[in-house]
Amino acid sequence: MKGNIIKYARDNIDTDVIIPGQYLKIHDYAELATHAMEGLDPDFHSKVKEGDFILSGKNFGCGSSREHAPIALSHCGIKAVLALSFARIFYRNAVDGAFLLPIEIDQDAYDGIAEGDEIEIDVSANEIKNNTKNQTYKMKPFSEIIGKIIAAGGLFKYKPDLD
Amino acid sequence: MGQTLFEKIWDSHIVEETQNEPSLIYIDRHLIHEVTSPQAFDGLRMNNRKVRRPDLTIATMDHNVPTTDRSLPILDQTSSIQIKTLEKNCKDFGITLFGMDSPNQGIVHVIGPQLGITLPGATIVCGDSHTSTHGAFGALALGIGTSDVEHVLASQTMWLEKPKPFEIKVKGKRKNPHAVTAKDIILSIIKNIGTGGGNGTVIEYRGEGITDLSMEQRMTICNMSIEAGARAGLIAPDEKTFDYLRGREFTPKNYESLVDTWRDTLHTDSDAKFEKEFTLHIDDIAPQVSWGTNPGMTCDVTESVPSPDEYSKGDTNQKKGAEKALEYMDLKSGTSIMDIKINRVFIGSCTNARLDDLIEASKVIQGNKVSSEVQAMVVPGSQMVKKQAEELGLDKIFIDANFEWRESGCSMCLGMNPDILSPGDRCASTSNRNFEGRQGNGGRTHLVSPVMAAAAAINGHFVDVRELELN
Repeated sequence: MKGNIIKYARDNIDTDVIIPGQYLKIHDYAELATHAMEGLDPDFHSKVKEGDFILSGKNFGCGSSREHAPIALSHCGIKAVLALSFARIFYRNAVDGAFLLPIEIDQDAYDGIAEGDEIEIDVSANEIKNNTKNQTYKMKPFSEIIGKIIAAGGLFKYKPDLD
Repeated sequence: MGQTLFEKIWDSHIVEETQNEPSLIYIDRHLIHEVTSPQAFDGLRMNNRKVRRPDLTIATMDHNVPTTDRSLPILDQTSSIQIKTLEKNCKDFGITLFGMDSPNQGIVHVIGPQLGITLPGATIVCGDSHTSTHGAFGALALGIGTSDVEHVLASQTMWLEKPKPFEIKVKGKRKNPHAVTAKDIILSIIKNIGTGGGNGTVIEYRGEGITDLSMEQRMTICNMSIEAGARAGLIAPDEKTFDYLRGREFTPKNYESLVDTWRDTLHTDSDAKFEKEFTLHIDDIAPQVSWGTNPGMTCDVTESVPSPDEYSKGDTNQKKGAEKALEYMDLKSGTSIMDIKINRVFIGSCTNARLDDLIEASKVIQGNKVSSEVQAMVVPGSQMVKKQAEELGLDKIFIDANFEWRESGCSMCLGMNPDILSPGDRCASTSNRNFEGRQGNGGRTHLVSPVMAAAAAINGHFVDVRELELN
C-alpha cells in the first residue's frame, strides 16, 4: 500500500470531529464522506486523495461507537490510519467492516513522518517505508486474531478455525 | 486463584473458546436505537437472515427524536426517515419497540434499568458507547458498532478478545454529598488516569466511595468509563442493586431465586488479581468543571484554567492539545473557573438525567430564576422519569425559574436533533463529552454535575455549590 500522509499532530482525535453527530442520519456513504473530519479540518475533503493515510497521536477515534467514523474516512479514500494508539471501538469498527487499516506506530515513525510524505506500508513485514525521507519504521504487528479478520476481509467473511 | 467479577461473567458466557482465536461470547440483552441499527437490518435482509432472539432484543428511539411537543410532526426529514425505518425494522423482525408515543420511551441507557431489562451478571450490548452505564448493576455492558449490531442480531453472540481487569478504588467519604456528586468522582478519576487510561480494560469500581452511592449515582460513574477509554465499567451488585430492580416491568418472574444466586457469586474474590490499579481519595474532592475539549481536561471549581505547560507536564502532544483546546474554548490560562460566564445550560443525557439528578438540581433552582443572560433546559432521561418528576412537582420548579421542560431523548448531548448550541455559545452541561462541536458546531461545552449546572444557570457563571445550603 502506497500513499501520502495527512498529519494531525495531536492526541484524542474523537469520533465527533471525524463525523459530527448531525450527519449520522445520512445513509448514503458518498455523501457522508463529504463531511469527514469536518469538525476538525474543514479543508480535509478538498485535500484528501484516494489512497491517502492519516497520521495522528494517541487514542485516535475516542468517543462514540458510530461506525460512520471509519466508514466516512474510507469513503474519502483513506486506506489506513497510523496512530500512536487507538480507542477500542473505533479500532474494532475499522477491522470489522474492513473499512481501513488501524496501524499502531511508535514515536520514531510519528516524529519522522510529516504531512505530505509518501509512505509504503508492508503489513506482512510490519514495516512502514517513508519514500520522501528514505527512512523505514516498524509498525506494531496486528494480533494473530485481528490479522486473520483483516486477511479475511472483515468480520462477516471471517471463519474462525475451531477445534 | 480467585476471580474478578468481570472474569466470572466472562467465563459464564463463553460459547466457544479456542487458542489464538477470539472468544465467542453469548449476549443476554441487546438494546437498539434508530441511529446505529438501520444498516445492520439491511445486512440481515441482504443475507436472508432473521433476528435470532427477538425476545432478548429491545428497541427505542432516543438519539434524534425532538424533545418538543410529541403531537407535532417531525420537521427534520432525515430524522423522520430514520425513526420510521426503526419502526418498520422492529415490525418486520418482531422486536419490541418503545416508540415516540410510548410511556417507556427514553434514552436507551435510562430505560434499560428502569424497566428491569438490565440484570446483574448479564452481558448487554448496544450500538452506543455509553452502554457501559449498565455496568452499575454488575452487568458486563459493551458499546458496539453497527457490524457488531448485525452480528448480535443474527447470532446473539459476539467475538471478543478478553479485556484486562482494572481496579479503581474510591476511598473515603464526601463531606457534602449533595454538592460533591458521582459526576465529580468520575470526572476526578478521568482527570487523573486520562482519556486513554482505561484502554483495553474493564474497570471495576470498588470501595466505600462507590458502595455509598445510590444506583442512579453508580450509573453516572459507569456511564463515563468509556471516557477513560475502557471497554466497560462495572460495580458488584448489592442489596441496593437488588432492591432497585425488584418489581419492574421486565424483572424476571423467578427474581428472588436469581438474587440468591447473585448474592453468592457476583463479587470479586478476595484473592483475585487485577492487572491495573488506581485509588482515588474523595474526602476532600471539589466539584469539577471541564475547561477543555476532552473529559480529562477538567479541574476543581476553585481552580483556574491551567496553562498548556501545567496541563501537559512535558508531553508535546498534550501541550498542543491543550493549546488547541484553549483556542477553541476561547479561554485564557489563569482565568478563574468561577469567572467563566455561560449562556446555555443543559440538564440531560444518559449520564445525568435520572430522577435523582433532577431532584438534586431542583433544590438549587427552587425559589430562584435563571439569569437573564442564560437559556436553560431540562431534558428528562425518559418519559417515565419525566412523569415521576412531574408527580413530585419538579416541572413547576424548573418552569417557574424559566427553565424549558422537555420531552425525553439524547437531545443536546450530541446535537443530532434541533437542540443544539450556536457557534460561540458556552454551555454548562450535565452530559459526558466536551469534544469540539459535540453539542453543535462552534459550541463550547463545560461538563459539570446537575447541581453545578443548576447553580450556573441562576448565576450566569460557575459557582462552588459547597457554599450553598444543600441537603
